[in-house]
Amino acid sequence: MSTSMLECEQTGREEGLAAGLAKVLTVAAVADTAPGPYAAVPVGDVPGGAAVRTHSLADIEGIVFVECPGERPRGTYHLVEIGRLLAAVRLGLLRRTLDLAVEHLTNRFAGEEALIRKQLIIGSVADVMAGVEMLRAYARSQQDPVTVADVHTQIDALGWQVAQMFGAAGYLADHPARALYVSALVAGTWIDKEGVKA
Amino acid sequence: MIDLDDRLRAVRELSRDAAEDLRARALSIDIDPDAMDDHYDSPVFAMVRQADTPPEYREDIASTPLLRVLDRGSCLENVVGLMELARGDVATLLACPAPGLAGVFVELLGSPAQKERFFTRMHGGRTWPFFAMTELGRGNDATAMETRLDPDGDGGRILTGNKCYIGNGARGSIGVVFGRTGRSALSIRAALVELPTDGWHGERLDMIGLRGAYISKLTFDDVRVPEDALLGAHLPVTRRGIWGAIKTFNHMRIRIAASAVGTALAMTEYVLEHRKTAPGGQLAQARAEAAKELVYEAAARIDRDPERGYLSSAAKLGALRMAVETAQWAHGALGPAGMIEHPLLEKWTRDVYAFEFMEGTGNIQRLHVARGYQAGDADG
Repeated sequence: MSTSMLECEQTGREEGLAAGLAKVLTVAAVADTAPGPYAAVPVGDVPGGAAVRTHSLADIEGIVFVECPGERPRGTYHLVEIGRLLAAVRLGLLRRTLDLAVEHLTNRFAGEEALIRKQLIIGSVADVMAGVEMLRAYARSQQDPVTVADVHTQIDALGWQVAQMFGAAGYLADHPARALYVSALVAGTWIDKEGVKA
Repeated sequence: MIDLDDRLRAVRELSRDAAEDLRARALSIDIDPDAMDDHYDSPVFAMVRQADTPPEYREDIASTPLLRVLDRGSCLENVVGLMELARGDVATLLACPAPGLAGVFVELLGSPAQKERFFTRMHGGRTWPFFAMTELGRGNDATAMETRLDPDGDGGRILTGNKCYIGNGARGSIGVVFGRTGRSALSIRAALVELPTDGWHGERLDMIGLRGAYISKLTFDDVRVPEDALLGAHLPVTRRGIWGAIKTFNHMRIRIAASAVGTALAMTEYVLEHRKTAPGGQLAQARAEAAKELVYEAAARIDRDPERGYLSSAAKLGALRMAVETAQWAHGALGPAGMIEHPLLEKWTRDVYAFEFMEGTGNIQRLHVARGYQAGDADG
């Protein structure tokens, strides 16, 4: 396999979700691999003539959902690889958004003190990075579909932790934190969570 | 555990019936919150508007079974009804032209003339109120607000400043706007402002979810506020501004918790309706039911002691965490691409995140809970 997890994380961090997804999807043909009736792909990679569904937030990220008719494959080698690489992209995206959050919190004050100096905030930043380190190792070392799905479940939770750092601004559709929500939507089309506990 | 009496059980059942109407409108309002023509005459909108209005200011329209059993004095009653309506759709409920949060505040701080002006302006169900406190960059500290209510030399005030994340603000016709009359801790006041007016500008913000709430930013540039529009003039100085806001927030916080629980229940029920054996479904439902009990208990405690917000903060924290986890579970519960195939469920998974930012973020609630614990409220 030519695409590495490190490359995917770097692309997610430096170029964002759509670029990272494009890199992930070089490992297999979408129509042969997607586990569900729709699969997220970058707008520029939609196969000619394919039916697509759109989503207003995914549109801003340059991602659409391609229809994948017929019986869908489950638990294949390629699908697990896509799951691991997509996890790396999402971790990169999380880092990208955390960088912005730290900048945001440095410029916001409660009284005379920047929010980034508050213990609750410092603790939250530390928790996110400890989570990133843990999940990077988890995604790198495991190749079972259920564990890969678990990695994504935990990335969803970390993404929410980062989004909260922006306050209500992170809930604006035109804010970069939007990509965290869309990344969960994307993962939902590529990750089969069957067997993962709530 | 809170045992609901016959009246509260009736409120719950009648509200559950009404939720169907809200749910049927949810997706179209999410797609285009401006297109309200098909929704104005919803019987549930009329019922909510009447229920939010003190009886002496209500419209002369047909009553409903739910209105006849409402007592209006009880936070628990409010929460029991709201949680069922939230199972329908919270964003649609917030799109309803009804007194809402501003109404609670006006009822608390308004003079009889101000109440009449505010509540009768809601008649007909074509006008929205707004409650404008939050400012960009000051969302974590309302007492640091910069909006000013300067004397106009003629007994009135000149309103200048910006407000952000204000529900229904850009389409509001009458609302409450907070500003400073000076630099002291007691100088934050609220004024009843009617729109449109010279110097006002409003703009809807495009949000990730809860789009029916029409969250907006507002600008007031030398807007004239007559003397009789300042709220709380008949009250002691200490009770004219922030006191009323805090008291209102103690009630509203628990309503946000109820909204989170209602949305979580809607998500679990939707998933289990479409896939009875969805992995984790029973657990998700059990957690939502437990949160419902906590929110009921917190509401009952507010009824007993409205000034102490420890349990309502804990309930908001716990309910929101549960609702977000439910949304994250729902993302995979209907199989790959389930969110693309089920847009209503997908909408709810976006909506729940909004509750974090309403009536105090999680970190603000954490501070309240820790202070309450240290003050002995956890054992009270």
